[in-house]
Amino acid sequence: MRYLPTPGRSLDGRKVLRFENGTEIRTQNLSTALLLTLCICLLAAVSVHLGQTRISIQELLEALSGSVLDEEQDYALWTIRIPRLLMAFMVGWSIAIAGAVMQSLARNPLADPGLFGLNQGATTMILLLIVLVPAASKLMIMSSALIGGLLVATLLIWLVGGGARTHGLAILLMGIALETVLSSITSLLILYTPQEVSYALADWLAGSLFNATAENVLTFLPFFVFSFAGILLIGPCLSRYELGNDAAMALGLSIRLTRPLILGFAVLLSTAAVTSVGPLTFLGILAPHIAAFLTPLKGRARLFISGLVGGLLVISADVLTRSLESDIPVPIGLSLTLIGVPLFILALRLQAINRQTQH
Amino acid sequence: MKVLVFLAGLLASTMAWANERTVTDDAGRSVTIPADPQRIVVMHEPVLGIPLIELGIVPVGSYGRAPSGKSLIGVDFIETIFDADIRKPEGIGTVGQISLEKLRSLKPDLILASELDLNKLDQLEPIAPVYIKHVRTPQTSGFNIQKQLAKLFRKEKEFETLQANYRERVRKLAQTLHKAEVNPSYLAVFLTDQINAIEQISGAIQAIEDLGYQRLSLGEQDIQRDSILFVPISSEVFGTLDPDLLVVMNSFQNRAADHKTGAKEALDQITPGWNYFLKPAKENRIVYLDSSKVTTPTIASANHTLDSIEAWLQTSSTNQ
Repeated sequence: MRYLPTPGRSLDGRKVLRFENGTEIRTQNLSTALLLTLCICLLAAVSVHLGQTRISIQELLEALSGSVLDEEQDYALWTIRIPRLLMAFMVGWSIAIAGAVMQSLARNPLADPGLFGLNQGATTMILLLIVLVPAASKLMIMSSALIGGLLVATLLIWLVGGGARTHGLAILLMGIALETVLSSITSLLILYTPQEVSYALADWLAGSLFNATAENVLTFLPFFVFSFAGILLIGPCLSRYELGNDAAMALGLSIRLTRPLILGFAVLLSTAAVTSVGPLTFLGILAPHIAAFLTPLKGRARLFISGLVGGLLVISADVLTRSLESDIPVPIGLSLTLIGVPLFILALRLQAINRQTQH
Repeated sequence: MKVLVFLAGLLASTMAWANERTVTDDAGRSVTIPADPQRIVVMHEPVLGIPLIELGIVPVGSYGRAPSGKSLIGVDFIETIFDADIRKPEGIGTVGQISLEKLRSLKPDLILASELDLNKLDQLEPIAPVYIKHVRTPQTSGFNIQKQLAKLFRKEKEFETLQANYRERVRKLAQTLHKAEVNPSYLAVFLTDQINAIEQISGAIQAIEDLGYQRLSLGEQDIQRDSILFVPISSEVFGTLDPDLLVVMNSFQNRAADHKTGAKEALDQITPGWNYFLKPAKENRIVYLDSSKVTTPTIASANHTLDSIEAWLQTSSTNQ
């Protein structure tokens, strides 16, 4: 019984659950997380139900409890839909967390792995591999993406000097510069490779969950599990980063040590996601902002709830893409924009109205 | 009794073997395919599907068509190339969004794919055997793909009949063409938002070369030769070229009333004033082809090319 949390109030008067080791969870964050989880479960049910092969909700529940489906249904459920659903959630989760991490690190709400050039580093390496080694294995693609992301991160730290006093804005501006250079290389590849290779590149850049096989889900799983360890370890550091480098150092944080580690964590998550589904632009910015709109967030809770929002958005985008499977191809990147951007605008507008009302 | 069981087992095993055969595809993979595939899905309709249809095999599914069967690549090659009312393959999902469930529901016994699909093998192979056919130059040119597919699907006789009829047409047409020139040259261009020299894979190029024309050398621009379709050439270089026959095709996407008007409009935009300074234009040495009919690597496309050249010859003789 001693491990059960006790209810209380935080310094700002909000209700919290307090654990014996001093950890506090705001009840509002907890209820938001539960609500998001419920939404994810509902959308997951829709996603698993959707497709060419008909699987009723009853058959689905029976299958999940161990019953055997017919061959067509078994293939549709276990080979296509479940891996696709899991991959959608894990990818959304990872990109959103990477975005939240980068925003805290740069102390800039516009930051995300894409803006820092990390995604572009991975993307450029993958595109080069598609052009130079069309039959490259998945391991080669994943390794090259990781190398691309890490190279950009290392270059970024080296270019800004790596000093503890380097401002977050300097990292962001240097990231934008690197991203621009790498984008131009990507454009060159698309423009000057043979037509059909260029179509293949554009196809990949649009993003797709076609590669979400059980094998690829298992390959991604270690990164997903690793993200939980990252949330636990990095969460408190990020709260200090948000106060500024000087305040963070005054609170005992070694910026020289933690910044490369945090950047490496974001690189791992974002490149793993890019390798699996292609670049899902804007999700890294979108998810943390929507999460912050839902409930006031900081530290671990911010990463966790951003991750849930990211997962929810990608599952929604996949559902939209698959339900529109008609004569118009809608890549998942486009679906994500169609769903996420109106939500983003709505969240920002409501926040603005809120502020105006308070003043 | 034991002898009977043994004989039945032997017979069943022989029958199973007789219904299948193992072949090596262009990627060097050993693939066991049905002896006589009945339900083929093609992953590249213009380059793999159209040659098959001309040989009498209609695929059940095709990548590049929507599940409703509508073509998603700007032109329906089956409609434009063949006059006959041919049953269209079902789509297996929109471009970039292959529906594996839809593909499986077609119950294919063979998936005919190209080297561009090597990264999809993990998903395709559990559904049906996948045969990879190289479609890029320089490995392939002219009717090679159709000839090799005819061999793979044991349709050599059909191919030979089609080819014999085509050769006869070429022989007759060649007699009325370029009587004065020795080794006449040609340049075939495809207009998108730029001018592109067409590669060697299409039926159009096969027909033009069979008529005795030789590809005009483009110098350094000839080096980039790893595309299925074409390599870009600058409009500045294009203006200086003087082939004996200039063959112009417009993009599939052009919505002009007819392909000739569309091609002229496109040239006006890319190279304004072309009809005043381009020598083949001034001397009526341009043949306009309908790209949706002539760009597949088939005898049917080559025949459409011969139709257009015959029409051009008639117009030229009338004008003279």
